[in-house]
Amino acid sequence: MTGPTPRPLGEVMREALPTYEAPESLRAWARAQAASEEQWQPRARARPSLSRFAYAAGLIAALASGWAGERIYRSRTESSDAQKFLITALVDTHVRSLMADHLTDVPSSDHHTVKPWFAGKVPFAPAVPELQTQGFPLIGGRAEFVAGHTAAALVYARGLHKINLFIWPSSAGDSGAPKAAYDGYSLVHWTDRGLTYWAVTDAAASELDAFERAFRESSQ
Amino acid sequence: MPHLNAAYTLARYLTKDVSEAEDATQEAILRAVRYIHTLRNDGDARAWLLAIVRRECYGGRRQRIDTVAFDDVPELQLVDKGTSPDTAANRSILQHRVREAVSALPDGLRETLILRELQLCSYDEIATITEVPLGTVMSRLSRARARLAESLANLVTFEEGYG
Repeated sequence: MTGPTPRPLGEVMREALPTYEAPESLRAWARAQAASEEQWQPRARARPSLSRFAYAAGLIAALASGWAGERIYRSRTESSDAQKFLITALVDTHVRSLMADHLTDVPSSDHHTVKPWFAGKVPFAPAVPELQTQGFPLIGGRAEFVAGHTAAALVYARGLHKINLFIWPSSAGDSGAPKAAYDGYSLVHWTDRGLTYWAVTDAAASELDAFERAFRESSQ
Repeated sequence: MPHLNAAYTLARYLTKDVSEAEDATQEAILRAVRYIHTLRNDGDARAWLLAIVRRECYGGRRQRIDTVAFDDVPELQLVDKGTSPDTAANRSILQHRVREAVSALPDGLRETLILRELQLCSYDEIATITEVPLGTVMSRLSRARARLAESLANLVTFEEGYG
């Protein structure tokens, strides 16, 4: 009878000891840190060490998300200051909602629970479709105040990613670019029957298109 | 992504606590962002970040620098003593015991062993990260392995090998 093969300690350890994935909230927060650091770098001063700085920004982006691509803020050149402000506020609110356990005030996958919860909290009645079958399970809702709007935020999941859908009554200036990307977050915007919708996520932009379709079809 | 997970994993093993690990990683990222310009060599980014994480985990607590003489560090081989060593039950008992034994190690030994066996850092990197001379890394590794051998003595047989 041959005895069991001796195995190196390291192998046994790697089998026995888990490696941990950083929580999504921490990842999102790190990404936001990297982004804000980049934002506050004065261009002129960064210039002599531009490659070093570009490397640093890239490293931090990679630390945060594995996404080492270029910083994208397409709407910066295409849209008004008001829209830039709005997009920044939406992304900030999205990131903040992923930190510190404040994703939902009403955690529920049941639209009969989420929809009535908004009564008295926002001055309109948002549609709250369940999109489980389309691959976007409802996680819950919360009340938000975003860039001067009292908004309903609906939270849906896409795999491990979260989608925040912000809804408020439309006003005259609410048209604008239907899509934006900011610091790796994607945004989609539409208006429907007097309400303005903004969806924000760190999932791929194509997922947001599918989400918009699913939401609009289900809320007819 | 690998750096953030490596940072968080190290924090989990050093603090042995989920929320402390998150706090330490968060503080470390703040520092990393602020002091990125002090990073000399791009290839050292991971070790550099792990060193920051480690300092945050200990929260400024001063580590005793031990000065045990340089040892050669033999790799240890484990032989499972169970009658049917490959059964899932035996494996999971062994894994549980390894976790407990690692968790029970003193900080200096645990961090060295984790960096070496789990994060696969070089001895030089470990010396940098844990701020001790190379000789101390070697002796800590040797002692950490001896402690594990002791804790797991009734489950496995250790043979010295150089694998």
